[in-house]
Amino acid sequence: MATTAVTRPSAEAAPTLRQRLRAFFGNYVVRKILKALITTWAVTTFTFFLIRLLPGNPIEQFVNQLIVTYGIPYNEAQDQASALFAIDFDRPIGLQYLDYVRNLLRGDMGMSILSPGTPVTDIIKTWLPWTIFSVGTGLILSFISGVVLGLLMAYRRDSLFDHILTLYASIMTSVPNYLIAIIVIVFFGVQLEWFPIAEMRGVLSPGIEPGLSWTFIKDAIFHASVPVIVYTITGMGGWMLTMKSSTIGVLEEDYVTISRAKGLKDSRILTSYVGRNASLPIFTQLAIAIGFVVGGSVIIESLFQYRGIGFTLLQSVQRRDYTLMQGVFLMLTFSVIFANLLADILYSWIDPRIRLEDQG
Amino acid sequence: MAQNDYSNMIAADVDAPLRLEDISIYYKTAKGRVQAVRGVNLALKAGESLALIGESGSGKTTLGLGIVRLLVKTAVIQGSITYRRDQKEVEVLDLAPEALRQFRWQQCAMVFQSALNAFNPVLRVWEQIWDTAKAHGWRDKEAVRKQALDLLNFVQLDADRVINAYPHELSGGMRQRVLIAMSLLLNPQVLILDEPTTALDILTQRTIITLLRRLKEEKNFTMIFISHDLAIAAELADRIATMYGGRLVEVGPTDQLFYSPRHPYTLGLIRAVPTVTGGFEELSSIPGSPPDFINMPSGCKFHPRCAFATEKCSQEEPDLEPVSNGHYAACWHWREVKVEVDRWNEVRAAAAN
Repeated sequence: MATTAVTRPSAEAAPTLRQRLRAFFGNYVVRKILKALITTWAVTTFTFFLIRLLPGNPIEQFVNQLIVTYGIPYNEAQDQASALFAIDFDRPIGLQYLDYVRNLLRGDMGMSILSPGTPVTDIIKTWLPWTIFSVGTGLILSFISGVVLGLLMAYRRDSLFDHILTLYASIMTSVPNYLIAIIVIVFFGVQLEWFPIAEMRGVLSPGIEPGLSWTFIKDAIFHASVPVIVYTITGMGGWMLTMKSSTIGVLEEDYVTISRAKGLKDSRILTSYVGRNASLPIFTQLAIAIGFVVGGSVIIESLFQYRGIGFTLLQSVQRRDYTLMQGVFLMLTFSVIFANLLADILYSWIDPRIRLEDQG
Repeated sequence: MAQNDYSNMIAADVDAPLRLEDISIYYKTAKGRVQAVRGVNLALKAGESLALIGESGSGKTTLGLGIVRLLVKTAVIQGSITYRRDQKEVEVLDLAPEALRQFRWQQCAMVFQSALNAFNPVLRVWEQIWDTAKAHGWRDKEAVRKQALDLLNFVQLDADRVINAYPHELSGGMRQRVLIAMSLLLNPQVLILDEPTTALDILTQRTIITLLRRLKEEKNFTMIFISHDLAIAAELADRIATMYGGRLVEVGPTDQLFYSPRHPYTLGLIRAVPTVTGGFEELSSIPGSPPDFINMPSGCKFHPRCAFATEKCSQEEPDLEPVSNGHYAACWHWREVKVEVDRWNEVRAAAAN
């Protein structure tokens, strides 16, 4: 820099295009966004080809269904199917891919193969909010309760309270949540009849229209309540354990002892000194967990017959609805990548140490 | 506990800002009681600085933490700590949690060894200063800020920059100075400095020592230095107290303790430090290692490592007794130590010529 200044003093004022580009791509956020875009493209491409490698295609699945349910001969069934769906599977797969990408760039995910005339975006728009509502509520509840309990567990380390909750948390993290869901359905729903499991199927009771009415809100909560409880009690465990170990680490830090020596109030130490530092690593995890809100619900939604995006995904896979599968997978990818991006940016924002390192 | 001249004298020193009487601290562990401090009597004079020296594990840091009651939950402290300011006396060990919280930092501030990690990494220096002031009832942000800037200037930092910095933006020496500045914020009467220079490089150590010296000369705090570094103790302290195995084994004015130690352990510590004028042949380390706190030796705790030890030493533990004016040592054989020290001083004087 110094030599340039001597030989070409004017160069200092106006940076070259190359320098500008370097500054632009060197920027933390820009770099992260670029990576996210590349990842999205790669995953989209992989899903496109992978789902076509699955045995059977939508027409075959439909034909099989016709044969099984109506006993129609194979040829006849195939004619019916071809008449119903306007897809050409003979077109080279590379060209199909190019079509797909071209449409996608225009924001068009195509029509559902098995529900002709219905755009994939419409299907996603219809069912996604229900999943976001139920899994999101579960995530918020489990995160808050997990973090608070984890903090208390660390403060009361080795007490009975800690031992019982650690056991609970370990069970919840090691047992898959759908097993807990099955236990809830069979034990509390069917045997004890604490809640009407059959009535709670679906996202709304018949005849209820979405809108800003109390009946609608009440009904939506009624249908989502058991899945949300399952998400909460199972999700809590992980947050509790992470928060506990993170808090124990922070409690041993010198600045906590010194804050006590300084005579700070216990409440202030708990929140700004212990809590804030202990939750730093957890925020990244939270952001990532937000990404899995969309995809983390497939089995639970099927178990409770709760019609969200997970349920839709399972159906589309069973029926090989390529376009719908592509659409939902794209949503999953997008939310996970976006959440990771959010985690990176959020972390650099809450931890001043990271902010500085990346300015260099 | 046998009452003796020394402990009676401490008990009689009613004007002392800080008076420790018969302080014992033990930790409850799975293996049994670990007696870290035993029967320490000490009275600080107003404005004096006292150095507490000893090897690692001699109980000096435990004692320091005990004074502000920051010991871990498994520790039990017994005895009496009387704190006195403006004619008002409090028994520190009887303070209720809220009163104890107020006592800390406002009356008695403690500067810790590991300044590198002394600050909350997510808060700026100013926020941490304001937190401290607020916790002690300050409401005037501007006044606190002005006071903080003055103190940061006093510790020779670029106050305007440092006050808005995050801890990771400061070097180790700067952080230590910020911590010292912070300890002065509420104008406490007593300052406890636990190894204030240990984790720093030699040049930074020098800056901190100069700073502490100015602090002593200009601000007139009553200070306790906890250190294993005799040179620093000699430079900063008016009096030195040597600890061994959780006990005070020698107390006296700095000069006397340095040039005429009367306890073999103090003598050993002094001889273990190289001098600029002396040759290496004079250097000797103390044989053996600090005592096992669970299985303490009988009698004088130092006798297994002591060159002067006799049968009596392994059976009876000596109390502090006066060896000269204001100078006390807990050794059965301090007179023999005196002979040895005199001989050594002569050799050194001869070598210097």
